[in-house]
Amino acid sequence: MGNFTLSDVSLTVGQGEYLVLVGPTGTGKTVLLETIAGLHHPCSGQIFLKGINITHMPAEKRHLGVVYQDYALFPHLTVFDNIAFGLKLKKKGPREISGTVSKMAQFLDIQTILKRRPRLLSGGERQRVALARALVLDPHMLLLDEPLSALDRMTRDRLRGELKRIHSELGVSILHITHDLGEAFFLADRLLVMKNGAIIQEGNPEETLKRPKDRFVAELLGIENFIPARLGGGGQLFLEGLGPGDPPVFPASPAETEKEIFLAVPNWAIQLFPGKNNGDIYLAMFPMTITGLDRAQGHMKIHLKHAEGEQLRTTLSWREMNELPTNLELGQEIPVGLNRKGIHWVPAES
Amino acid sequence: MRSFLGRRSFKAVFFTLSALLLILIAVPLIRMIASADPATLFTTMAEQEVISSICLTLRSAFWATIACLVLGIPLAYLLARTDFPGKSLVQGLVDLPVMIPHTAAGIALLMVFGRSFFVGKALGTIGLDFVGTEAGISLAMAYVSIPFLVNAARDGFLGVDPKLERVARTLGASPRQAFFRISLPLAWRSILSGAIMMWARGISEFGAVIILAYHPMTAPILIWERFQAYGLKYAKPVAVLLILICLIIFAILRWLAEPRKET
Repeated sequence: MGNFTLSDVSLTVGQGEYLVLVGPTGTGKTVLLETIAGLHHPCSGQIFLKGINITHMPAEKRHLGVVYQDYALFPHLTVFDNIAFGLKLKKKGPREISGTVSKMAQFLDIQTILKRRPRLLSGGERQRVALARALVLDPHMLLLDEPLSALDRMTRDRLRGELKRIHSELGVSILHITHDLGEAFFLADRLLVMKNGAIIQEGNPEETLKRPKDRFVAELLGIENFIPARLGGGGQLFLEGLGPGDPPVFPASPAETEKEIFLAVPNWAIQLFPGKNNGDIYLAMFPMTITGLDRAQGHMKIHLKHAEGEQLRTTLSWREMNELPTNLELGQEIPVGLNRKGIHWVPAES
Repeated sequence: MRSFLGRRSFKAVFFTLSALLLILIAVPLIRMIASADPATLFTTMAEQEVISSICLTLRSAFWATIACLVLGIPLAYLLARTDFPGKSLVQGLVDLPVMIPHTAAGIALLMVFGRSFFVGKALGTIGLDFVGTEAGISLAMAYVSIPFLVNAARDGFLGVDPKLERVARTLGASPRQAFFRISLPLAWRSILSGAIMMWARGISEFGAVIILAYHPMTAPILIWERFQAYGLKYAKPVAVLLILICLIIFAILRWLAEPRKET
């Protein structure tokens, strides 16, 4: 592994829980997963499974199922033999193996491809076979290493639903690694954020998105707008590049001493053509100029610039675009409001 | 320059150079086989000395290959899968027999396994004698051709995704089971290819064998002796026979080692 190390990693997966681990490439997610599976031996720390210390237990005795991004199906075996691999190692009889494999194949709708070799399967079929191979042994936990990354969008969406079904019907605990936020939010009971070999935040997806610990977490979770600001000792908030704003209403108590911060502003918290600021809906309101309009499937990304230099991005669906009082054009100056509810502050230094 | 690098000129030059090399390989063999007198060939085939010599050669090379499969596959696997201090030195050592002159290799083997050295003496007490015996022939063949097997097997194992072994472990396979059920089956074509090359190289070995075991005579030594004693006319039939037998066996084994296309 060269100079890479897992450092501050402590996590617990509850019985039947779906835990999703997100983080950028190279941060140690796969190393962590393989360490849990017993494929790497930690220099320090311990791993417990159902109360038993398995830190030094060989991988083949841990009873954990692993599914890799590229499925790692055995190319010299048929689909049936791939799924039956673990059962044969347990010296199950041929009839029992056949019955168990057929049952799992039916559960995952791959009963028609049992005689094929992996190289003749589609990406979605390979993924189902990899899942079947792991699940057929009734593992204590399923470890999924970016299982859907290599698939096209349609297949990915379909298999995402499959994973949710597997989880709800079998009740198996799952640790799922991904860098796809949509996948993470769709599947996770709990979300973990990893950076440089350490877990830096955990919580349920909504709470983690609302209260990112720092700019890194906020960016990872898809927040694009970070407004530099100064939180004053008296609760005053000065937004650099946008002018002064009212003190934000944050669930956490405001800083007692003056500090440099960023306001992490999700796209949806940027309101175009906001109404009157009744009941303190908006943290701040100001005019901004449209500097870019990017069309995408089903939505439009709008780039905005303030006279004092700050730039923001927001996304509107076609429906929301149609509900605006006017069409948007490049160079147009429009009123913009920052909705308090979506905004959280993060320290300026990470 | 532009015309040389043009698509057609480029291919033409490469084809021409390749053809020259292929002609260099094929023409002497074709010439020799074509010029062989069938009647002389059949007479030679019936000679007991020739039959024994060819059988001895094929058999010795076969046992050398089998022994080196047992010892070489583990080494190849370690070279493919593990990093350890001195690994490049070990790899260099594996390649060494290809580079040293084979008569020198024969002398080196004689100095260790000969009757005057303690290893040779000790083995002699349990009935294992390498000087002037079939065992010595196999030893000499093995020594000079082991790099073909180890390197091919190593490349075969390198071609097996380590992730497959890791997945096998998570499915309940011990390291031994992962090796025999995943790594070896997926690398067997490369290993067989290496074994065929090793066997073929062993058959053709002359320098190391003649030092360790002039008698019993392998086919290459018989050819050389007949050439020395009686000239080309008497050496040629044995050479042709050996080449034809080797070509047939070689072709069959290569066919076995080729991957099959699945429908």
